[in-house]
Parts: sequence; structure tokens; C-alpha cells
Amino acid sequence: MVLQVREVMKRFNATLALDGCSLEVEKGEVIGLLGPNGAGKTTCIRSIIGLIPVDEGTITVFGMHQDGRNKEIRKQIGYVTQEITLYEEMSGKDNLAFFASLYGMGKTEIASRMDEVASIIGLEGRLADKVKHYSGGMKRRLNIGCALMHSPALVIMDEPTVGIDPQSRSFILRSVKELAKDGATIIYTSHYIEEVEAVASRIYIMDNGHIIAQGTLAQLVARIQGDHVIEVEVRLGSEEVRTRLLSIPDVKEVVLEGNRYRIIVPAGIPILDKILHAFANLPLVSINTKQPNLEDVFLTLTGKQLRDEVKS
Amino acid sequence: MIGFHLKRASKDVVGEVILILFPLILIFFFDYLYRNIGIETGLEAGTQSRVSVLAIGFALTFQIYASAMSFETLSEDLFTAMHDRLFASPTEGRTLVLSVLASGTVVSFLQSFVVIVFSIIILGAAIPNLAFILAILLLTVLFNQLLGTILLLWCGSPKVANIVTTVYGSVVPMIIGLYFPLPKYALVRFLRLYGTPMSLANTASLAVMEGQWVRAITTFAPLLVLTVALFLLLKGLVRRVVV
Repeated sequence: MVLQVREVMKRFNATLALDGCSLEVEKGEVIGLLGPNGAGKTTCIRSIIGLIPVDEGTITVFGMHQDGRNKEIRKQIGYVTQEITLYEEMSGKDNLAFFASLYGMGKTEIASRMDEVASIIGLEGRLADKVKHYSGGMKRRLNIGCALMHSPALVIMDEPTVGIDPQSRSFILRSVKELAKDGATIIYTSHYIEEVEAVASRIYIMDNGHIIAQGTLAQLVARIQGDHVIEVEVRLGSEEVRTRLLSIPDVKEVVLEGNRYRIIVPAGIPILDKILHAFANLPLVSINTKQPNLEDVFLTLTGKQLRDEVKS
Repeated sequence: MIGFHLKRASKDVVGEVILILFPLILIFFFDYLYRNIGIETGLEAGTQSRVSVLAIGFALTFQIYASAMSFETLSEDLFTAMHDRLFASPTEGRTLVLSVLASGTVVSFLQSFVVIVFSIIILGAAIPNLAFILAILLLTVLFNQLLGTILLLWCGSPKVANIVTTVYGSVVPMIIGLYFPLPKYALVRFLRLYGTPMSLANTASLAVMEGQWVRAITTFAPLLVLTVALFLLLKGLVRRVVV
């Protein structure tokens, strides 16, 4: 077992950031930690690394108790911060070397590892440039590279693709998959469901400081196997219609994304006429039904829509 | 690690140049002003030339501003998201802080050294017992770096620490009489010679230049004690703030 988090509580003044949070990670797993902003993902990660003490519960990393002072634990973790934490005035090479030196790596070791990491993050030939001249995507990749220099046994990536272009995002996802193929244990937090679906072998869904569901993608989707998703697109979406839809018995959840309503209903229940009735005389653009995906699982379990949470 | 921070500090060329050029310009300006207006500097000069005591005075003054540069560097590490990246590593928080402090000390001392050397070469200052003067300057650099870092950790805000340092860096040189003559009251004289760490350093420097070794030691020793006290205080603060 690489990591075991047991019933962890963490309070910041009146806010309960972690409320009995528990999770386990086996060697070689890629864990997707999914949750909206404020769900407690970063607090959970910071507790695992030992950056903040927990109020209750225990965290065991590589069989060692995390008390915040255990250097052996820190040596084995590579932490990719949510924000880009690089020295902009310095070169990519300087950054990689500096962060590697914090993990006790010598100059020779750093030099030989640097080429490998440059290849993983796709920055060969650009490491001599100052970071301030990098694009957002390149900075994100270097941000990951700095956490990989010391070949950590556990890589923790906290929303590593925030604010970058699709090409860089897909490059990073490919890199994560490559790392996983090479046997790295990874915790990948995100509010992009498709990213978690793409990289994670097991997923934890987090909300309000605790884990509300966990399992493989198939297992999680199976939790709402009996449900259907009806997507209705209108010219102009309104909260009033959403409220009307939610008042229909058997409607489990409704999300309004722009002009599109996603309505989760139990399969096999004749409910379409009631739904159409809720739209009254509004002109409909399209109606679809589909099998639920991870996003629908999240929606059903939390009543929240990840992206909207992020926007707000 | 110190090498990295030295390289990092060297990227701020404008800041470094200002901290060397400004004191030189001010030394020249005040020397010119005193010479032509006929007023006396408030600095105690003994048998030394005005430009020599001005060189020491401004070198000491700009060490205070150099400490602000160091704690701004430190604040980028401690009060931004960088904190988590650095402290997620097995390197001790104390080591991280001290490496920034050490590089700041080296840079600030080099600035003081350049100011003194340029004052000798360009402005014709005469600094006897230069090695001892440099030792005093090194101690005051360390003192100022420690003071700046403690201020930063204490207030937890680079902005507040900057304001305090600016006020300190403006008032303390006045107390030693760097900018204008001071009234000749006993209390004012005491403050001018011993009242602040900069007063002690300035008095020790002049004593060294004059060859008054007992006076030099009796003013250097309290400064040394204060520096050691600040170091001990910093150790405690680092433990409280950065873990």
C-alpha cells in the first residue's frame, strides 16, 4: 500500500475542509481525485504531503506515519502544484536542477536525469531558455518536470492542466499515461472529468471534504446504470424551467449548461411528456437521450456540475 | 542552493546597479554640497576626510535597502504558491531561508565593497585599515539581512516589512548625522554614536579608521551580540512560520 488516509478531519477556523476523508492508493495505480473547487482536494493533498497537520485521523505513506516532519516520505513524493511554481527569470534547466537539489541529488545525477525528464515533458532543446519566454503550456510541462527530477515513487498532480491549450493538455495527459505505464503511482486531481476518465485507473469523488464515491470508471457508472440522461437544448435556458423540472417526481437532477438542460431520470419510467410540459411553450432545439457517464455520476452524487462550480 | 540564489539575485541587474550607483552619487552630492555651502556634515569625522566618512555612512545606509531586496526574494518563496513546492521537499525550512539569507549577505556585502572601492578610486576617499572596515561592513550586512528577514517573518507581509524597512532606512542615517548636522545635546550625541545598530557600526568604523581600537571593539561587540541575538530569534521564527 502506497498511501492510506483514514478518517482525516481538517478544520480552518469555522470551515471544515476535510470531513472524515479516507482513501487508499496501491502501488502502480493512477488515482483520479475528482471534485469541484472547494471540495477539499488540495487540502487532502497538502495533508498527504505533510504541509499541513491534520486535526484527526491518520495518514500513512509508504508504511510511514505522516506527521509533517518525515523526510523519508517527502523524498518519495513528487508534487506538481496547482499554480505554476517556477523561477521565471531562470532557465528551465536551472529550475529543474534547483528542485532536484532540494531532494539531495548531486550534480552528476541531475545532469543525467535532466535529459530523461526533458523528453518526458517534451522540452528538449528549450531548457536553456528563460522560463519567462515559455508559453503557458510549456510552463505547465516544466512544472511537472520539476516534480519528476528525483524519480519519485508517488507523483501527486494537483490540477496540472489548468489554463492551458488543448495541445499541451493532451501532451500532459499522454505523459501521465506514459509515467503510469512505467509503473509510477500517481494521484491526479482535476475538475476536468474527461481528464480523469482518460488517465485514472480508479477514481475518488470528493465533495464537502469527504469522499462520496470511489471505484473504477465502470464501477462508478454502474452506480447509476438504472438512470438515463435526457438532454434538451432550447434557445434560451432559464432557472425557472430548471426549477420546474426538478419539481417533477422521479427527476433526480437537472443541470443547466448555457441553453442545454441535462436531466437525470430513472430508466424505463415514462416521463418525457412531463419533461416537455415543464418547457411549456418554449421552442426546443433538440432532445437526446444517452447512457450516463462519469459526469452524470458526479452530478447524481453531488447535485453539482463540475465546470459551473469552477466558473463561479 | 546558495549558488542558485546568487544567480537568481544577479538577474535583477537594475536593482543591483541602483544599490551601487545611488550611494556613489549621494556621496559625491553631499561632499560637494558640504564643501560648497560651507556647512559641516553631522557625521563625526575625527581626522578623516568628509568623503571617507560619507562613503562609510552611505555604504551602511544602502545595506538596509539591500536587505529589502533579499526579503522580497524570500517573500516570493514563502508567501506564494512556491512555499508548497519548496516545503514539500525534504530540505529543511531553515536551510531554505538561510540559503536566501546567505546569498543576500554575499550580494549586499559585494555592493558595499564596490561602493567603498569606487569611493576610494573615483571620489578620492581614504579608508585606513580597510580590512577591518570591511569586517564591520560584513557584520552590518548580516545584521541588516537578519533584521529584514525577521521583519518579514514577523509581519508575514512583504509590503509591511518594506514600509518598516524604508522608514528605518530613512531615519537611522539621520540619527548618525548623515544628511544634516545634529544639535549638540548629550543625548543626541549618544544616539548618534551608540543609539542604533547603524550608529554602532559607524562609530566602530570611524574608530578603526582613527586607530582607536578600544572604542572600535566596544562598539563592534554590542553589534556582534545583537547580530547573534537576531540569528537566534530568526531560528525560532523560522520554526514557527515556515513549517
